[in-house]
Amino acid sequence: MEDDGAKKEVMVTSMKAEYIEHSIEVTHFATSDMEAQGLGMPGLDDAADVPTEMTVSVEEQNPNDGRLEVMELKHSIDKKKKRIRAYSQKFRKEWIQMGEFQGWLSEGSAPDRAYCTVCSKELLAGKSELLKHANGKKHKKRLEEGHINMTVPTDLSSVLDGTAIPHVLQIVDLRSDTVTQPSREMKEAMFDAPVGDDVFSEDPTVKALEEKVARMLEKEAALFVPSGTMANLICVLTHCWGRGSEVIVGDQSHLHLWAQGGIAQVGSVHHRSIRNLPDGTFSLQDLRSLVRGDDPHWPVTTLVCVENTHNMMGGKALPLQWVDDLGTLCNELNLPLHMDGARLINASVALGTSPARLVQWCDSVSLCLNKGLGAPMGSLVVGTKEFITRALRVRKVLGGGLHQAGMFAAAGIYALDHIAPRLSLDHTNARAIAQSVSEVHSSAITVDLKGVQTNVVLLHCDNIRVNAKKLCQRLASVTDAESEEMGEQIVVMMLPITETTVRLMMHCDVKKDDIKAVIKKLKYIIQEYDNMMYLEYK
Amino acid sequence: VLHHCHRRGSEVLLGHLSHIHIYEQGGISQVGGVHPRVLTNLPDGTFSLAEMQRLVRGDDDHWPVTSLVCIENTHNIAGGKVLPLSWLDQLGTTCQELGLPVHMDGARLFNAAAALDLPPARLIRGCSTVNVCLSKCLGAPAGSVIAGTAEFVRSARRLRKVLGGGMRQVGMLAAAGLYALDHVVPTLSRDHALVQALATAMVETGSQVICCDPQGAHTNILLLECNPKIVTPQDLCHRMSQVSDDEAEATGQRVVARILPITDSAVRLVVHCDVTEKDIQMVIAKLKYVIKELDGKM
Repeated sequence: MEDDGAKKEVMVTSMKAEYIEHSIEVTHFATSDMEAQGLGMPGLDDAADVPTEMTVSVEEQNPNDGRLEVMELKHSIDKKKKRIRAYSQKFRKEWIQMGEFQGWLSEGSAPDRAYCTVCSKELLAGKSELLKHANGKKHKKRLEEGHINMTVPTDLSSVLDGTAIPHVLQIVDLRSDTVTQPSREMKEAMFDAPVGDDVFSEDPTVKALEEKVARMLEKEAALFVPSGTMANLICVLTHCWGRGSEVIVGDQSHLHLWAQGGIAQVGSVHHRSIRNLPDGTFSLQDLRSLVRGDDPHWPVTTLVCVENTHNMMGGKALPLQWVDDLGTLCNELNLPLHMDGARLINASVALGTSPARLVQWCDSVSLCLNKGLGAPMGSLVVGTKEFITRALRVRKVLGGGLHQAGMFAAAGIYALDHIAPRLSLDHTNARAIAQSVSEVHSSAITVDLKGVQTNVVLLHCDNIRVNAKKLCQRLASVTDAESEEMGEQIVVMMLPITETTVRLMMHCDVKKDDIKAVIKKLKYIIQEYDNMMYLEYK
Repeated sequence: VLHHCHRRGSEVLLGHLSHIHIYEQGGISQVGGVHPRVLTNLPDGTFSLAEMQRLVRGDDDHWPVTSLVCIENTHNIAGGKVLPLSWLDQLGTTCQELGLPVHMDGARLFNAAAALDLPPARLIRGCSTVNVCLSKCLGAPAGSVIAGTAEFVRSARRLRKVLGGGMRQVGMLAAAGLYALDHVVPTLSRDHALVQALATAMVETGSQVICCDPQGAHTNILLLECNPKIVTPQDLCHRMSQVSDDEAEATGQRVVARILPITDSAVRLVVHCDVTEKDIQMVIAKLKYVIKELDGKM
């Protein structure tokens, strides 16, 4: 790597303060920032406990001979103000306008970090370091070539060398359980599968899959479709066959948030959203009040939709009693019930109940093969024979009919036979990671350990030191200090799902080593945030 | 269509016998809210450019806004006809003057290209977007590809998403498509030659009941016109899917040929890479026998 010799990041390797008993602060925040956020500088009443002197060791690599030089910087306390200020450079927004930094400099994932958008690399926010980086050969080249800023967590160029081959690098992709690759055995099953033209209903493997799933859920029939989005869309459109229909969906449901408003855009179906509770359910009383009566002012309530497991709420399995109660209510109200069961098998494993039992009261179900089950693509719509006949029409108009789809149906069959039985392992792994975060007792990153029911873990950021986007960014990059301290380079990919929530998902491609690495990395990063600032409020 | 007709109140001009109009369940309207206006498809798959110009809407509250012209190459119902290159070029120029984008439904574009012995890119010169199928003559198990500008593809991704067409590890399907482009496309003229062999054999029988036009069979599709007084397309398809004992004795083979009725008077045969020369010989033998049967009824 060309830049190796030229890299000169000054790392603050240690901060020692004699006899720090209680937590006082190396505050990297400028006072004005904190005051703006309503945080005051801590006042120190007890002068006795306050260290008189602080020593900051700084390690710098000599550019000529590569030797590490240690400099010790001593700071004394300003006793009059009874405050401690330890200086480590904080990123300043004004720098972005400066000539040397224009076009590439941006904030990093922490106040003492900066980010080069052209090299996609996190840097320490010391001005001299930034200038050194600006003068680097590679950086200049990239700037010239006008590399596009990619700050999404999936960008790995900060850890790839010039040949773009990761070296000694472990990458764990936890963005979603859809990223799984088909195994060799799955591919062999796909290769050997007899196929036909499914548009003529002549593909035996597709038929086998549809029958298998229908049987598994104890419904009459099933239909193979390319995606979960299409499966749900088909179900809604099939139920809402008449003009002026309305469906009731959870306000945090996938149908409502992540389907591009398809039921309205494509299906002309209106909806009313009902507030999702943290466990993925909603109030049945609220449901009653949302159902429309008979009046020309009102559309006709035609369908109720639920999601199991509930994605945005953290992969929660809907309580069985609640699902039964909902089913009874819908029956009473004469309303069909659809379950978005993209991760239904996860729910069934978590509750220790058969999938069929979970959908007992549902008139239609959508089930995904491409998620935790590990198939490359595909979902199923399940319902009565009559429903499926109509659903086939809807699939047709959406363009969802595939010809020799048996290959993918075979992958689905393989997944149901071989991968579904091991889903509890994903849940255990998810819990392990959540536990490791919970054990650290950080105030920067928190997790609801009890809320981890399936393969999803939600990490909550305090939005002061770190937010969701920055956390994902930090997880997907490796600093020099980190790689030295940990002895390895680990990149973990997760997804920000709100401003302050990061989601990680376990799946069958995550190995034991990966879990260890993720935990290691998370702990390291959390420590970084915690060390950054821990205030005691008086 | 949904991309080009993205705003409310759009209208698309297309052939009255186009696949989009006949075989897609009215999807552009049902799903996309787009109004169709049909142009009369001529037997060669084209339509009158004069008619097209006449039907372009002006600016008036009564009228939707003409936003797109669609053509189909090869044209399915017309019998797999290859649109004449000169007509394509003229259409392109005219639409450019009118400020209208052209979309080509090129489900079987590669057949057209093979028939004309030109690269497919030449045929879509005047087109803003094109759709090509991997799953038809190219032999891949599933999949189509739409092409256009980068902006179009970005918009198309969104539309694909809302329709639920985004799939995950589909590289396997893509690989089949790549293989097809490399290995099957070069064999398309073989399919065309087999159709010619079929057509010639039919003409040789001199039948009055089943007729076909070898010169009208440009690509891998053959239409057999039936004399409705003697046999309907459905009956013919049914007969072709059965084998009588007499037939087996006379022809020395037991062959079932699966074909489809396509209009009130015609059946369609489509030759593809899974059909061998021997298969065609057997189909010819069977057809000759069936034609004799039918001729006898006259």
